[in-house]
Amino acid sequence: MSMQGDFYQLLKEQGYQLGAPVAASAGVEIPTATTILAFKYRDGVLVAGDRRATAGNMVMYDRTDKVLEIDRHSVMAIAGVPATAYEMVRILEHSFKYYRRTQLQELSFEGKLRAVSKLLKENVAAALSGTGAVAPIFAGYDVEHEAAKIYFYDILGAEFEGVEYAVSGSGSPTIRGILHYLNTWGEQPLNAMPEEQAVIHALRLLTSAAEFDSATGGVNREANLYPVIKLITTGGVGAVPEATLKSLFEAKVVRHV
Amino acid sequence: MYEEPYKWVEAVANRRQYLDDQFKQGSPVVALAYDAGILLLSVSKGTPKLYEIYDRLALGGMGHPADLEKLRVSLLEMAHVEGFNRSPSDVTGSRMVKYGIAPVIKQAFEEVFKAPFIVKLLLAELGHKAGKDSFLVVNYDGTFEEGTSCAVLAASKTVEQEMVASIREQMSGARSLEQAFDLALRTWALGDRLQHKTVEEPSRGSSSGQPEDTEAVPLSAYLLDRVAEKTVECALLERNLSGSSKYRALASNEISRLLPKDLTPPIV
Repeated sequence: MSMQGDFYQLLKEQGYQLGAPVAASAGVEIPTATTILAFKYRDGVLVAGDRRATAGNMVMYDRTDKVLEIDRHSVMAIAGVPATAYEMVRILEHSFKYYRRTQLQELSFEGKLRAVSKLLKENVAAALSGTGAVAPIFAGYDVEHEAAKIYFYDILGAEFEGVEYAVSGSGSPTIRGILHYLNTWGEQPLNAMPEEQAVIHALRLLTSAAEFDSATGGVNREANLYPVIKLITTGGVGAVPEATLKSLFEAKVVRHV
Repeated sequence: MYEEPYKWVEAVANRRQYLDDQFKQGSPVVALAYDAGILLLSVSKGTPKLYEIYDRLALGGMGHPADLEKLRVSLLEMAHVEGFNRSPSDVTGSRMVKYGIAPVIKQAFEEVFKAPFIVKLLLAELGHKAGKDSFLVVNYDGTFEEGTSCAVLAASKTVEQEMVASIREQMSGARSLEQAFDLALRTWALGDRLQHKTVEEPSRGSSSGQPEDTEAVPLSAYLLDRVAEKTVECALLERNLSGSSKYRALASNEISRLLPKDLTPPIV
């Protein structure tokens, strides 16, 4: 008997294949690069991402949403090739729903993590050929164990737990150091920060990443363009409204010199 | 044995009679639109009868649990593969029933050498706006009917018609969750009572005046008697629920809050 409630298996039985190993031909620029981050704060997990998609030197799009809600308690932030990343998110979204609806219970948090790893492993050939590398962050609230959790992955599917925080994408080296500094010597550790403080820090971190990484989009006030910031708490996933981001950015992030 | 056409017709007629008998002890299912979405209700002895199928689709079933399970899983597979390959908006109750499940049920019903599905299905679909909901009922022979404000499953067509007539009579304008729950529960009791009446009547013969006595018992007292040791099951498709899935099964504490006061103690 096949594994019960496995949507991906069902898709494969119907002839579906996730990542075909196609070598990228020379001169073809594939959209990549990003900054995504997640850290635990007082009430749960904050997950944030910039909104730029680039291909080589070209900005493809400035309104990308890289922080995607998979279900009521989990979010996947994506870095890498968007085509593959969005497809993975779609598979995961359907898989978790399919499991819940067929098995009449939620998939456990560990089960969700396995599902992410499995997709990345299936995609290794495409990742190595250069056309489908994805290095996501998976964050959520484990309802069963009443704990917020963060995991990050390499393009081969290895899973690492981000005990306090995780970063991914081309702009991530810049902010990794800042997060370490903040968490160790800041006024309070990240996991003690109230919501507003956490959002301010996320905006500052992404602005710093954009300062040093051309492939990370910063805030564009004229276009009313702010990063995507989502909060996961016991109550579920919620996005920080643009109006809040705008007022916090103007009051606490813009340099007043 | 069935090589002659009339024998096949006879076999199908026998099968109809056999299936009608199978549903006599079943528990009715009621689904109706209310101001925030759709409410589904049934009373069961443990095995659930209400299920989530897709973002805006809920299923209610009557009949053999194993058959119900089989059809539920094919509906789930169909809906999810379609929703993934096309889009969630293309997963509609009407497509699932007309091109998916109804032909399968009809084929099983008419293949007289094989066992039919002992099952009746109700598919409720939440519209994007109030008044755009749809309800589909599939009978054991694969025939289906569509409605827009309510639908029921019961042992026979007559009972179903009486239940729907009673809902329509009492359904007016916007209806709160409390009112919808109350109406659904009373409609369930009405259906259950009518089913039992038709089962008991033939055994009594024509001499007794008993059926009138049964009717004299108030519906609430009948409910109290029938619902004891059983579970009231209720699920909602809520238009304003955040996220894409709109299905939510009511928890037992919510159900006990909605139950009429005199029914509360024996159930919870």
